[in-house]
Amino acid sequence: MNTSFLLFALLNPLFALLAAPLYMALIRKVKAYAQGRRGPSLFQVYYDLRKLLQKEAVYSPTSSWIMRFTPYLNLSTLLVCSLFVPLVFVPEPAGGIGNIIVFLYLLALERFFTALGGLDAGSAFGGMGSSRSMSLAAVIEPTMVVAFAALAFVLKSLNLHQMFALNAGTILPISPTLVLVSISLFIILIVETGRLPVDNPATHLELTMINEAMILEQTGTNLALLELAHALKQFLLMGILINTILPVGLSTEIDAGKIAVSAFLFLLKAGLLAIIIGLFESALAKMRLFRLPAFYVMAFFFSALTILIEVFA
Amino acid sequence: MDIKMNKDTMELLSIISGIVEGEPELLNARENEIYLRLSETGFEDATPALAERKFSLIGLFCAEAFEKKSGFTLFYVFKQAGRAPVLVLVREAGKEKKVTSVAGTFPSASWFEREIRDGFGLEFAGALDTRRLFLHECYPEGFHPLQKAFKNGPIRWAEAPSTEYRFRQVKGEGVYQIPVGPVHAGIIEPGHFRFSVIGEPIFSLEIRLFYKHRGIEKLAEGKSPSKCVALAEAVSGDESMANATGFCMAVEQVCGINVPERAESLRAIMLELERIYSLLGDLAGMAVDVGFALVASPFFILREEVFRQNEKLTGSRFLRGINTPGGLKKDIPDSLLKGLPAFLKKFSRAFESAFDRAMSSSSLIDRFATTGIIKKELVSPLNLTGPIARASGCPADTRLDRPYGAYKEFAPEPSVRKRGDVFSRFEVKTNEIRASVNLILRLAEKLPQGPIFAESTGYAGQNLREANNPGATGYSLALVEAPRGQNLHWVYLKNGLVDRYKVRTASFCNWQAIEHAVLGNIVPDFPVINKSLNLSYAGTDL
Repeated sequence: MNTSFLLFALLNPLFALLAAPLYMALIRKVKAYAQGRRGPSLFQVYYDLRKLLQKEAVYSPTSSWIMRFTPYLNLSTLLVCSLFVPLVFVPEPAGGIGNIIVFLYLLALERFFTALGGLDAGSAFGGMGSSRSMSLAAVIEPTMVVAFAALAFVLKSLNLHQMFALNAGTILPISPTLVLVSISLFIILIVETGRLPVDNPATHLELTMINEAMILEQTGTNLALLELAHALKQFLLMGILINTILPVGLSTEIDAGKIAVSAFLFLLKAGLLAIIIGLFESALAKMRLFRLPAFYVMAFFFSALTILIEVFA
Repeated sequence: MDIKMNKDTMELLSIISGIVEGEPELLNARENEIYLRLSETGFEDATPALAERKFSLIGLFCAEAFEKKSGFTLFYVFKQAGRAPVLVLVREAGKEKKVTSVAGTFPSASWFEREIRDGFGLEFAGALDTRRLFLHECYPEGFHPLQKAFKNGPIRWAEAPSTEYRFRQVKGEGVYQIPVGPVHAGIIEPGHFRFSVIGEPIFSLEIRLFYKHRGIEKLAEGKSPSKCVALAEAVSGDESMANATGFCMAVEQVCGINVPERAESLRAIMLELERIYSLLGDLAGMAVDVGFALVASPFFILREEVFRQNEKLTGSRFLRGINTPGGLKKDIPDSLLKGLPAFLKKFSRAFESAFDRAMSSSSLIDRFATTGIIKKELVSPLNLTGPIARASGCPADTRLDRPYGAYKEFAPEPSVRKRGDVFSRFEVKTNEIRASVNLILRLAEKLPQGPIFAESTGYAGQNLREANNPGATGYSLALVEAPRGQNLHWVYLKNGLVDRYKVRTASFCNWQAIEHAVLGNIVPDFPVINKSLNLSYAGTDL
């Protein structure tokens, strides 16, 4: 353990935790503007979290420890994940932190417990959401593996920190193939955060839900933790995409000024990405459930193409 | 009795004379409606023969102490698609309060019979489904509120449900049930949906409604017709104008009132405005249910514009409080109507651009096409009407088949699609909005001047406004084309007061189509199918 990593372990998760809800709100705002509405304030998500944290949690009588445990597990998993994605600066390597295989498994752990939590409350909708989420996971997980493999191939490391350190010095990505990977990463971001055309985060129709259905029975503090974990997940996936396609300004040394610039630039870049996500969501209807694998295959295709190019070029 | 009949009605009468033996007793006849009383055997001969001749059972209701009878009288309303006259077969239930069911021949009768069983306590022998309908199990046993013996007032609830409501059981490996509702997320009325699914595909759906019975029919009893208009308007919010007009038409027919031309034209304008805002809500809702808010929002915005226009013209966003038997309560000044064409032209431009936005999205069309197909074969047996029937290849439209009021002169352009899926319904509804806009423009252009209320009629129309008017007695039936389809209003006046008021909205019949439309579709497609049918809960649960 070195001081660089300690500072990173302190700054990076805190930065992610504080900024993540803002981008949930920003995407909503963009969608509202696209529809000709004004939309809620950018701080609404923070207000909601504060409100939920003050409320008691209500449990269904059929629920077990899973439902009580899942919110804490999810948020802590995502906080560990936030150590894997350098947002403010890239620290010196430390242990296995940053390893993409561990990262993918952490995400899988979160997904697994979310699905279990959906089943646990005993409501029909939760079970439906879990079943849908798991069947779709069977398609998206291999896609993610291939996408991250492609990323590793291009940036010549299995460690996200080393990858982004390699990419950090430049304004544009070091290899044009990273643009292809970025398309995959964008699709993964949309799928993993349950956005249109995969899932509609704004819907009230339980029968159409995937992600929302699984947390439908969660209340109060637990719901706040799950929402925060979800926002964090989105923010980290956005971070990976941004560091891949637009690495400009990412600091590799510990310098207060550089870290500040790096963090500020990241907020700007994330803002831009959030606007793109908002517009993307506005431009499409939700796909039919059974057509979704076709959407995922697009991500698979671009990643596989990257690997092919890297191997033969 | 002064019985006048037109050619169509005479023809109908001759059909019946051909079916039943002996001379049926002609109770009453008016332009486009005849009432025949048949003997039990005559009735049993007549029903299969009517089914063979492609008559649909469009209504079935009961009245107690009808004319000089003391017991219960049943009214079976039959109509042939595309023809104006209705045939009402009148049947006496007798002392044992038991009659044979016709649900085997006319499936639409099933809900009607269950409704009568709850309301009046009649039994239907041979009925396939004898479960309760609008009075759920929490109502006490033997409670039948539409019987005259029951005086409206609080009732004692059963401590525990007397019987269990049994849903259809679908068994097999991998089949499981999803119960949805009656309390839903979002602002929506209560209804329970019981899905049996295998994975995502829907194997069976059973609906249960009637969670907020209001007793509208009972409330109408003993009221003056003018007071009942408010009740008719309360049947279903976005059909207020259609229902008020239907009720007024029925009363006007009983009393022999000729509504002035200007009132007829203004009514038609308002009916079409109502159709426009109601259908706009459907279009927006369909887009919302496939998660496409960008397409939905312009429709929502236009809907609001029409509401504001309504308020400007009549003082009510839902066009309430302007209709009355005999005409309108107040005139819409020409100064206000002058702005209407300009508004509609602006509206049309915005509507077309919203429509283009929807049609330029392949993802939207992909969700709508082939989803929730209603086959044409279902239309007549279930008595489906409105845009649902027209999207399934049946050109039924009361405004064309049986024109009333200003529609006798101004016919809307029909719009029919054959596929019967969500996309067809979307197309039909957009076409109907266009047709309504054109119709209003035509009506507004040739709007006659003159009175808006029938002051000088054989019957003192003015007195309709008072409770103690010099007793008109009689009954009549009116059919109106509401945005959701054909609504039936039957009013029986006794000494100028409403003795029995029956409303059958289009939704009452159309609801049953949803159980068929969803079969083979996947669960996440249910909301958009439901929205494309846009069925009224309140309009079903009076």
